[in-house]
Amino acid sequence: MGDTSRYPEHRRKLSPRWWTANRHYAMYMVREWTSLFVAVYSLIFIYGLSLWATGSRANFLNFLKNPAIVGFSLVALVFIMYHAVTWFYLLGAISPIKIGRSKTKPWQALVLNLILLVVVSYLAIWLLVLR
Amino acid sequence: MKVETHKVARLHAIVWGIFSLGGMIAAFLLPVMIYMTAIAYPFSLWPFNGTKDPSFLITGHRLGALFIFVTIAGSLYHGIFRFQSALTEVGLLKYRRALEAIGYFIIFVGIIVLAYYLGTWYLNGTIS
Repeated sequence: MGDTSRYPEHRRKLSPRWWTANRHYAMYMVREWTSLFVAVYSLIFIYGLSLWATGSRANFLNFLKNPAIVGFSLVALVFIMYHAVTWFYLLGAISPIKIGRSKTKPWQALVLNLILLVVVSYLAIWLLVLR
Repeated sequence: MKVETHKVARLHAIVWGIFSLGGMIAAFLLPVMIYMTAIAYPFSLWPFNGTKDPSFLITGHRLGALFIFVTIAGSLYHGIFRFQSALTEVGLLKYRRALEAIGYFIIFVGIIVLAYYLGTWYLNGTIS
Protein backbone atom coordinates (compact mmCIF):
# COMPACT_ATOMS: atom_id res chain seq x y z
CA MET A 1 0.00 0.00 0.00
CA GLY A 2 2.72 2.51 0.98
CA ASP A 3 6.20 3.13 -0.37
CA THR A 4 7.83 0.01 1.07
CA SER A 5 11.30 0.85 -0.27
CA ARG A 6 11.44 4.09 1.72
CA TYR A 7 9.30 2.95 4.62
CA PRO A 8 10.10 -0.77 4.95
CA GLU A 9 7.82 -2.92 7.07
CA HIS A 10 9.53 -5.15 9.58
CA ARG A 11 7.41 -8.25 10.03
CA ARG A 12 8.41 -11.07 12.29
CA LYS A 13 8.80 -14.28 10.28
CA LEU A 14 6.28 -16.86 11.38
CA SER A 15 5.60 -20.41 10.31
CA PRO A 16 2.31 -20.87 8.40
CA ARG A 17 1.05 -22.92 11.34
CA TRP A 18 2.00 -20.48 14.11
CA TRP A 19 -1.67 -20.14 15.06
CA THR A 20 -1.86 -23.79 16.14
CA ALA A 21 0.61 -23.10 18.98
CA ASN A 22 -2.09 -22.34 21.54
CA ARG A 23 -5.85 -21.98 21.92
CA HIS A 24 -5.74 -18.17 21.98
CA TYR A 25 -4.00 -17.99 18.60
CA ALA A 26 -6.32 -20.65 17.15
CA MET A 27 -9.43 -18.71 18.23
CA TYR A 28 -7.94 -15.55 16.73
CA MET A 29 -7.46 -17.35 13.41
CA VAL A 30 -11.00 -18.82 13.51
CA ARG A 31 -12.29 -15.28 14.04
CA GLU A 32 -10.32 -14.03 11.04
CA TRP A 33 -11.59 -16.88 8.86
CA THR A 34 -15.23 -16.12 9.70
CA SER A 35 -14.73 -13.18 7.34
CA LEU A 36 -14.77 -15.68 4.47
CA PHE A 37 -18.43 -16.43 5.24
CA VAL A 38 -19.22 -12.71 5.45
CA ALA A 39 -17.69 -12.16 1.99
CA VAL A 40 -19.14 -15.28 0.33
CA TYR A 41 -22.68 -14.60 1.63
CA SER A 42 -22.45 -11.05 0.20
CA LEU A 43 -21.29 -12.37 -3.19
CA ILE A 44 -24.02 -15.03 -3.22
CA PHE A 45 -26.66 -12.38 -2.51
CA ILE A 46 -25.36 -10.21 -5.37
CA TYR A 47 -25.53 -13.28 -7.62
CA GLY A 48 -29.14 -13.82 -6.49
CA LEU A 49 -29.95 -10.22 -7.46
CA SER A 50 -28.35 -10.83 -10.87
CA LEU A 51 -30.81 -13.71 -11.42
CA TRP A 52 -33.63 -11.26 -10.78
CA ALA A 53 -32.11 -8.52 -12.95
CA THR A 54 -31.44 -10.80 -15.91
CA GLY A 55 -34.47 -13.08 -15.47
CA SER A 56 -37.38 -12.67 -13.11
CA ARG A 57 -38.19 -12.05 -9.46
CA ALA A 58 -39.24 -15.72 -9.18
CA ASN A 59 -35.68 -16.78 -10.10
CA PHE A 60 -34.35 -14.73 -7.18
CA LEU A 61 -36.91 -16.18 -4.76
CA ASN A 62 -36.30 -19.77 -5.94
CA PHE A 63 -32.58 -19.17 -5.51
CA LEU A 64 -33.14 -18.12 -1.88
CA LYS A 65 -35.07 -21.36 -1.30
CA ASN A 66 -32.37 -23.56 -2.86
CA PRO A 67 -31.35 -26.08 -0.13
CA ALA A 68 -27.62 -25.54 -0.82
CA ILE A 69 -28.01 -21.77 -0.40
CA VAL A 70 -30.14 -22.20 2.74
CA GLY A 71 -27.59 -24.67 4.15
CA PHE A 72 -24.64 -22.41 3.43
CA SER A 73 -26.49 -19.40 4.84
CA LEU A 74 -27.25 -21.24 8.10
CA VAL A 75 -23.57 -22.15 8.54
CA ALA A 76 -22.65 -18.57 7.57
CA LEU A 77 -25.05 -17.22 10.21
CA VAL A 78 -23.30 -19.25 12.93
CA PHE A 79 -19.90 -17.92 11.87
CA ILE A 80 -21.21 -14.37 11.42
CA MET A 81 -22.66 -14.47 14.95
CA TYR A 82 -19.23 -15.61 16.14
CA HIS A 83 -17.78 -12.66 14.21
CA ALA A 84 -20.33 -10.32 15.84
CA VAL A 85 -19.70 -11.60 19.38
CA THR A 86 -15.90 -11.34 19.05
CA TRP A 87 -16.22 -7.93 17.36
CA PHE A 88 -18.38 -6.59 20.21
CA TYR A 89 -15.93 -7.98 22.80
CA LEU A 90 -13.03 -6.42 20.89
CA LEU A 91 -14.78 -3.02 20.88
CA GLY A 92 -15.01 -3.15 24.67
CA ALA A 93 -11.36 -4.17 24.93
CA ILE A 94 -9.91 -1.47 22.67
CA SER A 95 -12.18 1.45 23.60
CA PRO A 96 -13.46 1.12 27.16
CA ILE A 97 -15.70 3.92 28.40
CA LYS A 98 -14.61 5.74 31.54
CA ILE A 99 -17.38 6.12 34.10
CA GLY A 100 -16.19 8.00 37.17
CA ARG A 101 -13.04 6.28 38.36
CA SER A 102 -13.67 2.94 36.67
CA LYS A 103 -13.62 1.78 33.07
CA THR A 104 -16.13 -0.52 31.40
CA LYS A 105 -15.10 -4.17 30.96
CA PRO A 106 -15.10 -5.94 27.55
CA TRP A 107 -17.90 -8.30 28.64
CA GLN A 108 -20.09 -5.29 29.49
CA ALA A 109 -19.61 -3.98 25.95
CA LEU A 110 -20.46 -7.45 24.65
CA VAL A 111 -23.74 -7.65 26.61
CA LEU A 112 -24.72 -4.07 25.70
CA ASN A 113 -24.00 -4.63 22.00
CA LEU A 114 -25.88 -7.95 21.95
CA ILE A 115 -28.93 -6.18 23.38
CA LEU A 116 -28.41 -3.48 20.74
CA LEU A 117 -28.17 -6.19 18.05
CA VAL A 118 -31.60 -7.55 19.06
CA VAL A 119 -33.10 -4.03 19.06
CA VAL A 120 -31.52 -3.13 15.68
CA SER A 121 -32.68 -6.46 14.17
CA TYR A 122 -36.26 -5.94 15.34
CA LEU A 123 -36.24 -2.33 14.14
CA ALA A 124 -34.94 -3.42 10.73
CA ILE A 125 -37.72 -6.00 10.35
CA TRP A 126 -40.36 -3.56 11.57
CA LEU A 127 -39.19 -0.73 9.31
CA LEU A 128 -38.54 -2.79 6.19
CA VAL A 129 -41.22 -5.49 6.29
CA LEU A 130 -43.96 -4.92 8.85
CA ARG A 131 -44.54 -1.18 8.47
CA MET B 1 9.16 12.95 2.73
CA LYS B 2 6.99 14.14 5.60
CA VAL B 3 4.13 14.90 3.20
CA GLU B 4 4.35 11.37 1.71
CA THR B 5 4.34 9.84 5.17
CA HIS B 6 1.17 11.79 5.92
CA LYS B 7 -0.39 10.64 2.64
CA VAL B 8 0.35 7.00 3.42
CA ALA B 9 -0.94 7.44 6.98
CA ARG B 10 -4.12 9.12 5.71
CA LEU B 11 -4.75 6.35 3.17
CA HIS B 12 -4.20 3.75 5.88
CA ALA B 13 -6.65 5.57 8.13
CA ILE B 14 -9.30 5.72 5.39
CA VAL B 15 -8.89 2.04 4.41
CA TRP B 16 -8.98 0.83 8.02
CA GLY B 17 -11.82 3.23 8.83
CA ILE B 18 -13.99 1.72 6.08
CA PHE B 19 -12.92 -1.73 7.27
CA SER B 20 -14.11 -0.93 10.82
CA LEU B 21 -17.37 0.51 9.53
CA GLY B 22 -17.86 -2.68 7.48
CA GLY B 23 -17.21 -4.71 10.64
CA MET B 24 -19.95 -2.82 12.48
CA ILE B 25 -22.33 -3.29 9.55
CA ALA B 26 -21.55 -7.03 9.31
CA ALA B 27 -22.02 -7.43 13.07
CA PHE B 28 -25.26 -5.43 13.42
CA LEU B 29 -27.09 -5.78 10.08
CA LEU B 30 -25.92 -8.99 8.40
CA PRO B 31 -27.41 -11.42 11.01
CA VAL B 32 -30.93 -10.01 10.58
CA MET B 33 -30.56 -10.02 6.82
CA ILE B 34 -29.51 -13.69 6.81
CA TYR B 35 -32.37 -14.49 9.18
CA MET B 36 -34.89 -12.86 6.81
CA THR B 37 -33.54 -14.28 3.53
CA ALA B 38 -32.23 -17.73 4.59
CA ILE B 39 -34.41 -18.73 7.55
CA ALA B 40 -37.67 -16.76 7.72
CA TYR B 41 -38.45 -16.90 3.99
CA PRO B 42 -37.54 -20.55 3.12
CA PHE B 43 -39.21 -21.84 6.32
CA SER B 44 -42.19 -19.44 6.20
CA LEU B 45 -41.41 -17.90 9.57
CA TRP B 46 -42.12 -14.40 10.93
CA PRO B 47 -42.05 -11.86 9.25
CA PHE B 48 -42.40 -13.82 5.97
CA ASN B 49 -45.25 -16.10 7.09
CA GLY B 50 -47.78 -14.01 5.19
CA THR B 51 -47.91 -12.66 1.67
CA LYS B 52 -44.61 -10.77 1.68
CA ASP B 53 -41.27 -12.19 0.52
CA PRO B 54 -37.66 -10.90 0.59
CA SER B 55 -38.08 -9.07 -2.73
CA PHE B 56 -40.23 -6.64 -0.70
CA LEU B 57 -37.01 -5.60 1.09
CA ILE B 58 -35.87 -4.10 -2.21
CA THR B 59 -39.12 -3.06 -3.87
CA GLY B 60 -41.04 -2.02 -0.72
CA HIS B 61 -39.38 1.35 -0.32
CA ARG B 62 -36.07 3.15 -0.76
CA LEU B 63 -35.00 2.49 2.81
CA GLY B 64 -35.03 -1.26 2.09
CA ALA B 65 -32.87 -0.83 -1.00
CA LEU B 66 -30.50 1.36 1.04
CA PHE B 67 -30.41 -1.32 3.76
CA ILE B 68 -29.49 -3.97 1.16
CA PHE B 69 -26.78 -1.77 -0.35
CA VAL B 70 -25.20 -0.74 2.95
CA THR B 71 -25.33 -4.27 4.41
CA ILE B 72 -23.99 -6.12 1.36
CA ALA B 73 -21.40 -3.51 0.30
CA GLY B 74 -20.12 -3.00 3.86
CA SER B 75 -19.98 -6.73 4.57
CA LEU B 76 -18.27 -7.49 1.26
CA TYR B 77 -15.57 -4.88 1.92
CA HIS B 78 -15.01 -6.06 5.48
CA GLY B 79 -15.07 -9.78 4.61
CA ILE B 80 -12.70 -9.61 1.64
CA PHE B 81 -10.31 -7.17 3.32
CA ARG B 82 -10.09 -9.28 6.46
CA PHE B 83 -9.82 -12.59 4.60
CA GLN B 84 -6.98 -11.46 2.34
CA SER B 85 -5.24 -10.09 5.43
CA ALA B 86 -5.72 -13.46 7.19
CA LEU B 87 -4.19 -15.28 4.19
CA THR B 88 -0.99 -13.27 4.58
CA GLU B 89 -0.74 -14.59 8.15
CA VAL B 90 -0.75 -18.24 7.10
CA GLY B 91 2.26 -18.25 4.83
CA LEU B 92 1.07 -16.16 1.88
CA LEU B 93 2.75 -12.90 2.89
CA LYS B 94 4.94 -12.92 -0.23
CA TYR B 95 1.75 -12.79 -2.35
CA ARG B 96 0.34 -9.84 -0.41
CA ARG B 97 0.29 -7.46 -3.39
CA ALA B 98 -1.51 -10.00 -5.58
CA LEU B 99 -3.97 -10.84 -2.81
CA GLU B 100 -4.70 -7.13 -2.26
CA ALA B 101 -5.21 -6.61 -6.00
CA ILE B 102 -7.60 -9.57 -6.28
CA GLY B 103 -9.41 -8.53 -3.09
CA TYR B 104 -9.93 -4.92 -4.16
CA PHE B 105 -11.00 -6.08 -7.62
CA ILE B 106 -13.71 -8.34 -6.13
CA ILE B 107 -14.85 -5.55 -3.76
CA PHE B 108 -14.94 -2.99 -6.59
CA VAL B 109 -16.81 -5.21 -9.06
CA GLY B 110 -19.24 -6.47 -6.39
CA ILE B 111 -20.17 -2.98 -5.20
CA ILE B 112 -20.49 -1.60 -8.74
CA VAL B 113 -22.75 -4.50 -9.81
CA LEU B 114 -24.88 -4.12 -6.67
CA ALA B 115 -25.20 -0.35 -7.19
CA TYR B 116 -26.04 -0.91 -10.87
CA TYR B 117 -28.92 -3.31 -10.13
CA LEU B 118 -30.37 -1.18 -7.33
CA GLY B 119 -29.88 2.03 -9.35
CA THR B 120 -31.58 0.52 -12.39
CA TRP B 121 -34.54 -0.68 -10.31
CA TYR B 122 -34.82 2.74 -8.70
CA LEU B 123 -34.81 4.52 -12.05
CA ASN B 124 -37.32 2.19 -13.71
CA GLY B 125 -39.72 2.38 -10.77
CA THR B 126 -39.26 -1.17 -9.45
CA ILE B 127 -38.20 0.41 -6.14
CA SER B 128 -41.11 2.56 -5.02
